[in-house]
Amino acid sequence: MILVDSVTKKYPGDAKPALDSVSLHIEPNEFAFLVGKSGAGKSTFIKMITKEEIPDSGKIIVGGIDLDYVKKRHIPSYRRRLGVVFQDFKLLPRRTVYENVAFALEIAGMSGKEIRKTVPKVLELVDLLDQAKKFPSQLSGGQQQRVSIARSVARQPKILIADEPTANLDKLTTQEIIDLLKKINDFGTTILVSTHDESIVNTLQKRVITLADGKIVNDQKNNGIYKLDATPVPKESRTLQTPGHALKTKRKVM
Amino acid sequence: MAKTEDTSEKEKNKNLKSAAKKGLKVMRKSKSKHPVRKGARIVKYGSSGFVRNIWLSSAATVVMAFTLIILFATVVASVILTNTADMMREKIDITIYLKPNTSEQRLGELTDVISEDSNIKSVETSTSEEEYEKFVAENADSEDIINVLDDEMKALMISKMQATMRVKVYDVDNLDSIKEIVETNSLFKKYVDPEKAPTYDVNQVEIATITSWARIARTGGIILAIIFLIVSVLIIFSTIRMAIFSRREEIYMMKLVGADKGFIRGPFLVEAEICGIVAGVVAATASYFFFMFLSPKLSNYGINVNTITEILESNKLILMYLVFMGIGIIVGRLSAWLAISKYLRKM
Repeated sequence: MILVDSVTKKYPGDAKPALDSVSLHIEPNEFAFLVGKSGAGKSTFIKMITKEEIPDSGKIIVGGIDLDYVKKRHIPSYRRRLGVVFQDFKLLPRRTVYENVAFALEIAGMSGKEIRKTVPKVLELVDLLDQAKKFPSQLSGGQQQRVSIARSVARQPKILIADEPTANLDKLTTQEIIDLLKKINDFGTTILVSTHDESIVNTLQKRVITLADGKIVNDQKNNGIYKLDATPVPKESRTLQTPGHALKTKRKVM
Repeated sequence: MAKTEDTSEKEKNKNLKSAAKKGLKVMRKSKSKHPVRKGARIVKYGSSGFVRNIWLSSAATVVMAFTLIILFATVVASVILTNTADMMREKIDITIYLKPNTSEQRLGELTDVISEDSNIKSVETSTSEEEYEKFVAENADSEDIINVLDDEMKALMISKMQATMRVKVYDVDNLDSIKEIVETNSLFKKYVDPEKAPTYDVNQVEIATITSWARIARTGGIILAIIFLIVSVLIIFSTIRMAIFSRREEIYMMKLVGADKGFIRGPFLVEAEICGIVAGVVAATASYFFFMFLSPKLSNYGINVNTITEILESNKLILMYLVFMGIGIIVGRLSAWLAISKYLRKM
């Protein structure tokens, strides 16, 4: 579903690359955590997937789309195929909860009738139907993040990317958000969550991809455990760094 | 064995590339095919944005209304000044005094001579008898004067009163050729009364003043209007840019969730256009009442306000409202377009 092959990105003025020949493959319906300390390259990785940044070298294929061929004018169309959740929610402050979710469907050209049918369902999924008429500023952090998730899943994307979705939330709300993401994953959506919160990673026991200094230093397929201070490099993970490895993988790209 | 693996990998890579191309095709085709629906949503969000950002919208509208009023005042001042100057220039005539008892036939000959100058607009002549009749008519109410005008006095006055030639010209700045005719032509030399000089010299200061007024009105008015228009656009542009700057995060969010440029830019343009329409209506109404309040006072000073009053009191008033709204829409849209483009450049 997400195929990254030997991707390198170096920002001008930086001594080290933000991402250094990173390769990985996330399968359809997989739930994966992208972990690492601040500055490890998680946000750059997410930005590559959302095409906010372009790699210096390497290849990225997302949902069957080779990002090399996505021209500037096609970026909005590409982004509409993804669900993206942000650390700071990125809700439209002057629009109600309902309008924020509806916005994602309106930009996709969905009819008013379809929108009126879909939005309440999605708000019900995130348990915010009774808050539909409120503005983001009238909601708690957890509620705002749930609106953000509702907006990102309203178009029923095959992939949902969440960049530090729980960073601004308390423990209880964090668990609620993770449960919600798990529920969405159960519906068949591939989920990639970037985080540095080891408690949620270790509770869920899903795939854990650890980034350090722009490199993948650990990739535990199942029951992954993440410790912020210890990032061992298993032998099997090192093989993923071989250029072209991901492209040669046997897995079918969706 | 190794060869078989290589072939299978090549085949898989080929399939992978073909799948990626197919995905790209589907994505490109997924563009919305409902421009009317999109347009309606843009208008809806633009108008709700205008209401929800009422403070910033009001600030932009007030600035725009003020600049439109200033623009109106500049144009009106220019028109009034030009009309007043023209009106006064219309009234200017050069009076050439001819010797008493110059006959009507001679006056005709003199008219023919002076009419050869292309600057001459019209020539009116009056014999000494006619001048006397004018004098009587002008003083008809004054019994003291009328009572002393017996036949003897009439004959005396006619013998002393100059025949006149009143000349109107197209260009009051250029009287040299007329002066030359009056001073050098033999017929004029013979009949011009040496005791009373033509009035072009007497009115020279007044003519110069009016001429400079007219010049200021024409050229200065246009320059002032252009300067005000540029300043207005810059002020409105800055106000709208500030309004958009405060919402740059919103633009970024829209980009990230996949809104295309048109969908992001559209509501901002609609908001700016609504600002323009409201500002146009406010400015036109304020200008109307302000001018109607001032025009009688200006008229008392002999200022010609007729052209503007005629516009404001006829159906052309609607046209004025439309022009105000039109300028508001154009300036607002242009400013918003320029301001938002900065944030849309990097998608």
